[in-house]
Amino acid sequence: MRVALAEDSVLLREGLARLLGEAGFDVVAQCDNADDLLLKVRSYDPDVAIVDIRLPPTHNDEGLQAALDIRSQHPSVGVLVLSQYVELGLALKLLADSAEGVGYLLKDRIGDVEEFVAAVRRVAAGGSALDPLIVQTLVSRQRPDDPLVQLTPREREVLELMAEGSSNQGIAEKLVITVRAVEKYVSSIFGKLGLPSTGSESRRVLAVLTFLRS
Amino acid sequence: MLTIPPKPVVLGAIALLACAVPIRSFFVATTGDDVDIVAVGLLDWITLPYILAGAVAWLRRPESRLGPLMLAGGFASGLSALQLTHVDSLYTVGAFFDVLPAALFLHVCLAFPDGRLRSRYESFLVGAAYAAALGLQLVKISFGAFGPRSLAELSAQPDVARTVQHVQLLSLSAICLVGAGVLVRRRRQAGRPRRRLLALLIDLFALGLVMIAVLFTAGTFDWPGFLAIQRTTLAVIGIAPIVFLIGLLDARLARSAVGDLILELRADPAPADLRDALSDALRDPSLTLAYWLPDFQAYVDLEGREVELPAGNGRTATLIERNGGHVAALIHDGALDDEPQLLDAVGAAAGISLENGRLHAELRARLEELKGSRARLLEAGRRERQNLERNLHDGAQQRLIALSLELSMLEQKLGDRPDLQARLDTARREITHTLEELRDVARGIHPAVLSGHGLAVALESIAARAPLPVQLTVDLDTRLPDRVEVAAFYVVSESLTNVAKHAEASDATVFVAKTSDGVVVEIVDNGVGGADTENGSGLRGLADRVEALGGRLRVWTPLGGGTRVQAEIPCA
Repeated sequence: MRVALAEDSVLLREGLARLLGEAGFDVVAQCDNADDLLLKVRSYDPDVAIVDIRLPPTHNDEGLQAALDIRSQHPSVGVLVLSQYVELGLALKLLADSAEGVGYLLKDRIGDVEEFVAAVRRVAAGGSALDPLIVQTLVSRQRPDDPLVQLTPREREVLELMAEGSSNQGIAEKLVITVRAVEKYVSSIFGKLGLPSTGSESRRVLAVLTFLRS
Repeated sequence: MLTIPPKPVVLGAIALLACAVPIRSFFVATTGDDVDIVAVGLLDWITLPYILAGAVAWLRRPESRLGPLMLAGGFASGLSALQLTHVDSLYTVGAFFDVLPAALFLHVCLAFPDGRLRSRYESFLVGAAYAAALGLQLVKISFGAFGPRSLAELSAQPDVARTVQHVQLLSLSAICLVGAGVLVRRRRQAGRPRRRLLALLIDLFALGLVMIAVLFTAGTFDWPGFLAIQRTTLAVIGIAPIVFLIGLLDARLARSAVGDLILELRADPAPADLRDALSDALRDPSLTLAYWLPDFQAYVDLEGREVELPAGNGRTATLIERNGGHVAALIHDGALDDEPQLLDAVGAAAGISLENGRLHAELRARLEELKGSRARLLEAGRRERQNLERNLHDGAQQRLIALSLELSMLEQKLGDRPDLQARLDTARREITHTLEELRDVARGIHPAVLSGHGLAVALESIAARAPLPVQLTVDLDTRLPDRVEVAAFYVVSESLTNVAKHAEASDATVFVAKTSDGVVVEIVDNGVGGADTENGSGLRGLADRVEALGGRLRVWTPLGGGTRVQAEIPCA
C-alpha cells in the first residue's frame, strides 16, 4: 500500500515514515506543507494520504483544506487527518458527504502502533476511522428522550466501535466474540434506533453519525 | 491711511454736510420747473444712508477703511446730484462727479467687510474703475459731453465726446460685471454665510454691480426704458447701506443678549446645554465648543473626542482663557470676527460654565482612554495566550508524541521480553496521560480550533459536551476577527457552564448570527432564572470582555422565567 505523508514536525514525520515502512507500507511521498502534498498526491497516486491538520504557513486550516481537496479531487485516495485536538465540528466537515476512505484521529493514537496501522489500512481500503473521543462526545451527548437508553451496555460498545469505523470482524476481535454475535448486535441496534440497514461499513458509519448528531 | 478715529470736528463737519444734502435737494427742486423730482429723491436715497452707514462704521471700527469709503461714496453721489441744478458752476461740479459713485460702490463691495482689497487683481480692478470714472470723465467733459453749460468745456467735439463716453461706460460695465463675479466666487468658496443679514448684504452688492453694468450699457446704446432701469438701479444701491445699518443694530442687540446669557448661565446649565445658550447669544447656529485638555495637549468635544481647530474655510476659533490658562475655543462662523467685543463678552460670561464643560470633557476623554487601554490589554493577553498555545503544540506535545511512537516501535522490536514490554507499555501510558493533561491545559490557554476553524466548528464541541441538550444554530458565512470570535466563544461556553451550574434547565438554545456591524450571540435556557448578574456568576466578567470590544452584554433573568444572555459584539 502506498502512503503520502504531510507533517511539518521533522521528528514526527520521520518517525511515522519509519513506522509505516516497518509495517509494510510504501511511503511514496513526504512533505511539510499542503501545496506540496496536493502536488505529490497528483503525481504518485497513493492509496492513502496522512495529513497533519495544522500545516504551514498559518497553521490554521491548511491541513484540513488539503484533506477536503484530496477528497473531492481524488476520491480514490483515502485521507487520514491527524490532529492534537479532535473536534466534532471538524469531523462533521470531513465526513459531510460520505465516510468512505476517510479518517480523523488524535495524534496520540500513533503511539498504539497496531491500532494505528489498522486504521491506516482501513482508510486506504475505503473504510473509515473516527477517533474514539469524538464518538464518546457524540454518544454521551445529552438529548431529550435519549433513544440510546434502550441499548444494553454491550450494544452501546458495539455502536461506538461501529461509529469509529470498525468492521464486524474488527469488532468481533476487539470484544472477543464471534462475527455472528456482532451481526446480531448490529441488527438489534439498528432495530431499536429505527435505522434502515445499510450495505457497506462506511455507509454504516455515516448513518450512525447522522443519528447520533441529530 | 485713515486708521485713527474721526475727530469731533470731522464728525461735526460730516453731520453738517449730511444736513446740507436735503437742503440742497430742496434748493435744486425749487430752482427750476423741469427738475426731475424722482431723480433728486433717489439720489438722496443713496446719499444719506451711505453717509450715515459710513460714519457709524468709521466710529465703530476706526482701523477699517470701509467707513471712510462709504462716506466718500455718499458724498460723491450727493455731489453728482448738483448737475440737476440750474447754476452752471454747480452743474459743472455735478458733471465731474457723475460716474464716480459707481467706482466707489465697486470699491465698497470688494473691500467689504474689513476695508481691504484681497489681491492685486482686485486693486487693479478698482484702480481701472477710478481711472474710467474720473480720467475719462475729464476728457469727456473737456470735449463738451455736458454741453456749453459746463464751464470746463474746452472744445466742443460731440463725436469725440460720444466715443469717449461709450468707452467709459462700457469699460465700467465690464469692470462691474467682473466685480460681481468676484463676489459670487468668494461666496461659493466660503460657503453660504450662516448669518442671514450678511448673506443678504453680499447679494445686494452683487445685484447692485450687475444693475450698474446694465444701466451703463443701456445708456450707451440708448435702450428704451432707460429711465426705469436707472431708477431701479439707484433704489437697489440704496438698500445696501440700510441693511448694513440693520446689521450693526443687530450686533448691538446681540450684546444685550449677553445679559440674557449671564442670567441663563446662573441657572448652571448642563454642559450639553451650554452650546445652545452660547449659540443663541452669538446668533450662530453653527457654533461648536472645543475644550482644551492640557494633559492631552489637545482640543476635544464634550464627549472627549479630539477636534481640530479650523484654519480658514469661513470658520474661526476664538480662544477663551481663564486665570491665565486655556479653557476652551468657540468655533464659529467667520462673520463673527466682525464683532470681537461680542465674542469677548460671551467668552467672559461663560467662563465658569466652560470650565465645568472642560472638566466633563476631560472625564470623558480619560474614560475613552481607559476603554482603549482595556481593549489593548485584552488583545495583548489574547495574542500572548495564542502564542503560548502554539509553542506548547509545536514543542512539548509534538515531542511527547514522537517519544511515544519511538517507545512503541522499540516495544515491537523487543520480541519475547514480556517484563520489558510491560514497563515500556507503562511508560507509554504515562505519556498518553501527560498528553491528555497538556491538551486540557492548552485548550484552557487558547482554543486552537477557534483560530484554526472559526466559531461554528468550535461551538459544535461545546454544545455537544454540555451536560444538557443544546440546540445550536450558527448563521455565519465568513470568519470574524480573532478577538470577536474569542469573545463570542467565551460568552457561549461561560453561559452554558452557568446554565449547567445554576439554572436547573432541561434544555438550552445557542444562536449566533451576523449583524450589520458585527455578531450577535444569544444563549437561552428554560431554567429557574434569577441569575446573579453582578457577583461571581461570571456574567460580570463576560460583560467586561464584551464591553472592552465596544459591545454590549444584556441579561434577562426573571425569577422562574429562564435566563437569556445576549451579546452584541461589533467587528470594527
